Amino acid sequence: MLKAEFVEEAVKHGGSTKREKRIKPKFKTGQKVRTRNLNPIGHTRLPRYVRGKLGVIHHDHGIFVFPDTNASGLGEKPQHVYSVRFEAKELWGAPGTGGGVIYIDLWDDYLEPALKRAKPKRVRK
Amino acid sequence: MNGIHDLGGMHGFGPVVREKDEPVFHADWERRVFGLLTATLALRKWNIDEFRHAIERMGAAHYLESSYYEHWLHAIETLLIEKGVISRTELDAKIAELGKQEP
Repeated sequence: MLKAEFVEEAVKHGGSTKREKRIKPKFKTGQKVRTRNLNPIGHTRLPRYVRGKLGVIHHDHGIFVFPDTNASGLGEKPQHVYSVRFEAKELWGAPGTGGGVIYIDLWDDYLEPALKRAKPKRVRK
Repeated sequence: MNGIHDLGGMHGFGPVVREKDEPVFHADWERRVFGLLTATLALRKWNIDEFRHAIERMGAAHYLESSYYEHWLHAIETLLIEKGVISRTELDAKIAELGKQEP
């Protein structure tokens, strides 16, 4: 139950999903990353327009609950969330983007090191 | 999920209308829905991510035709029923009862 004394805090700030845990970040500020091409049937906060795109880690926000698992009863799976910087050109193509950039908050599990796909491994059949 | 909510990059919705001195709520019922979410989250039957997913599971046409706080209300109703707090029958009965009271 929501007690009267907690209402103001709940309305003003909501419940934070930040977690004070010691979990190593997978990426460092300034590192080039590529977003994974994920298409889960459940909840995700990785928008379609930024899947499989190259960006740069701009800032590490700290550790937060992972929405994809938390939305489907699979636990909090806390991990680092970063502000990732993308060139508008990377997301929308060259014409009309005018050198703009976009910053998107993304979780560790949405990202992989940029080099991984730039040099694909040879697949043996 | 690749649902209608993921609108980034889609065309055809017209310009984003910016209201000058936009109020927090455009109608009194929106204020009530805001309070309803805070109160029902405190039941600890679901979390904020389940709530967002409940909005995303709305039918595509319904999602586009309804407003921000209608999305909230839809998700609260969906979760109250799915988590067994109330039944669909109870909800429908209450809606019918309130509908009769309207002038």
